[in-house]
Amino acid sequence: MSEASSPWVQAAGPAAIGPSGQAAAPGTPWNADLTPSRPVYDGTLGELYAIYLRHLAMMLLTLGWSRFWGRTRIRRYVWNHLSVLGDRFEYRGRGRELLIGFLLALLVVAAWSGLMYLVWLYVFHEKPFATFGLFDLFSLSVLLIGFPLAYVGHYAGLRYKLSRTRWRGIRCGMAGSAWGYGATATFLQFANAMTAYLLTPVVSVNLARPRIVNTRVGTQGFTFAGRAGDIYGRYLGYYFLNIAAWIAAAVVTFMAIGGTIEALGISSGEFLKLFAHPSLHTVVVVLLIAFGAYLLFGLLILPLRCWWQAYLLRYLVTHSRAGNVLFATAISTGQMWGFLVLNYLIVLLTLGIGWPWVMHRTMKLIAGQLWIYGAPQGSEIRQPVDRGPGYGEGLLDMFDVSGV
Amino acid sequence: MTARYYDGLTAEVQEVMLKITSHELLIHRPGESAAVARWPVADMVVLGDSHHEAVPPLALRGSEARLVVEDPAWRAQLVSLVPALKPLALEPVKVVPRLGAYSLAIVALVGLFWSAVDYGTEYAVPLLPYTLQAKLGKAVFEEMKGDKETCKGRAGLAAINRLANDLAREAGYPHEVTVHVADGMEVNAFALPGGIIVFFRGLIDNATSTQVAGVLAHEIGHVVHNHPMKGVVRAYGIELLFKVLTGGYSDILSTFGTGGGALLALRNGRAFEREADATAVRLLEQRGLRADGVSTFFEKILKDKPEDAATARGIWSSHPPTQERIAATKRPPDGKLPFTPAEWQALRNVCK
Repeated sequence: MSEASSPWVQAAGPAAIGPSGQAAAPGTPWNADLTPSRPVYDGTLGELYAIYLRHLAMMLLTLGWSRFWGRTRIRRYVWNHLSVLGDRFEYRGRGRELLIGFLLALLVVAAWSGLMYLVWLYVFHEKPFATFGLFDLFSLSVLLIGFPLAYVGHYAGLRYKLSRTRWRGIRCGMAGSAWGYGATATFLQFANAMTAYLLTPVVSVNLARPRIVNTRVGTQGFTFAGRAGDIYGRYLGYYFLNIAAWIAAAVVTFMAIGGTIEALGISSGEFLKLFAHPSLHTVVVVLLIAFGAYLLFGLLILPLRCWWQAYLLRYLVTHSRAGNVLFATAISTGQMWGFLVLNYLIVLLTLGIGWPWVMHRTMKLIAGQLWIYGAPQGSEIRQPVDRGPGYGEGLLDMFDVSGV
Repeated sequence: MTARYYDGLTAEVQEVMLKITSHELLIHRPGESAAVARWPVADMVVLGDSHHEAVPPLALRGSEARLVVEDPAWRAQLVSLVPALKPLALEPVKVVPRLGAYSLAIVALVGLFWSAVDYGTEYAVPLLPYTLQAKLGKAVFEEMKGDKETCKGRAGLAAINRLANDLAREAGYPHEVTVHVADGMEVNAFALPGGIIVFFRGLIDNATSTQVAGVLAHEIGHVVHNHPMKGVVRAYGIELLFKVLTGGYSDILSTFGTGGGALLALRNGRAFEREADATAVRLLEQRGLRADGVSTFFEKILKDKPEDAATARGIWSSHPPTQERIAATKRPPDGKLPFTPAEWQALRNVCK
């Protein structure tokens, strides 16, 4: 499909869909404006890099403490270069709000450490159980609270970012409870792992729903009409194809490795020696093997995953709406590969320096692939009373799961 | 001048015309003379600046209304009329020179940071309060010990601690050194921050008295050079550098960086071992004791395991190749015995 054509030109015609998503009754006049448009991103890679490199230099100078202000600057750039229906987003967060959030999260962890120390004193009576000592107790407990808290932090971080985002001067926001979301997410992920990941569609839909329906632009909310049942067929197809692909990859790998070692006729001792004192030759061979493994993995398994992820994203987007505004995307498996796999490789192979490039690519992808049908009634969307949280993203920062 | 006006109450967009006088900005619809809003010039602020925002919005202090002037020429004109609105149209960023300057600055800062970590620890670590180091060492020791008891033979412990403190004083180390003997069969010993040395019973059982003294002198070498603490500080510093360099964003990269950091720590480890070997021989000789135990101990290790683990592991090893260490520490069997026969007997029985 060409990039410029709308995937839903047919469906977007008048009288196709009524305001509630139901087919309109015959004879009902229905003149909703469903003109398609896409967001526009007009940032340049060079400018983004100039901001990012300044941020890196400041990070080095301040041993990382400038990151709250650096992130804020990057967001201001990215947000304001993105516009929907001709109106640019505005990011009004402040570095010090992120700093306060971080310090508060630090306090939470400190309190938790204190609690664990008391457990050590009064439950364990300072006696290690087998080799299980104070440090193990602490790391295990952090692992236990870290998993749910990462979800809580994710939701709270989203709430902070939205509350600092304005469009047409109107504040966005996020209702709902971050703790509730954290509990749901922890339970669903646990249940999914217990059932060999056969619950993935249920998890995906039920974690997407609270994030979509709680999002607000001023007083305008979003609705989500997705159901896990709709996507189960495709998921089961992906699930079993994935297992087959892993088996095929394993067979090919074993055959290749066995064949190579036999062909070279080297012992395990000589093999170890090669790694301990790597020559250029060994490095090249290792790189070639890694490339081969990547090709095998990349050709068989990742495209399958991208195929499913692209389908899931198309489903989630097309089943969301904001009042009389509909959304659609025709994002392809190839584009999802670029987003999930290529972006990951860029960050990894450039040791992080490629990060703004990934950000730029992502914004371009959103601008190219998100279709918006219709326009909101501006006069009906009012400024919200709620100003959002006073500080932001502490937990997100603490568990190192945040990007911009 | 045309612009987009948002009233801050609803999401309605109004295409408006602007008229500016010396004291106020008049915002009105095209073709209508009635004002949509009048903004006193003194109360107008620019939100952000044109280096970050594509089009920094104009706002009225204390209000949520916004005015967005997309045309850069008009923004420049506004700034020429009201200089206080300068962030609206800053000089455009010259991207290439700026990227060059920041890249250079980053490379220089990484170099500086690196030297600070690599050489700075040399001078900074001895300045760390000794009580802090001792606390850390004690905590690590307790953690490693777990619920196992160490050996309690009084005379044996007195003997090894006597020699340890003699050697430490010889090196001008101002604090007390404590040697523990763990009841394990490994042929090994290590030093912790705060002058704590741990010997394994296996080493004492399987070595001669000069060899035990050689290993002890080697561990004293680690203690007097503050190696355990330097190791901790360097590992932490390098990890911090990786974190900062990746922008603190990516956990995959942090993991990657930690791996690289571990390799560097091992390289540091090999340098520490060489320094401790040299110090061991020097201290023993200065006290007129036999210094051949250091190299004969390495020879014994090599004889027990001809496939030298340190050589086999190469860049993944925390210790230099054993052959190299033998060559560097080889000494004739001259001088006094480091332990008296009674001391050595007691040390042999320390775990019984």
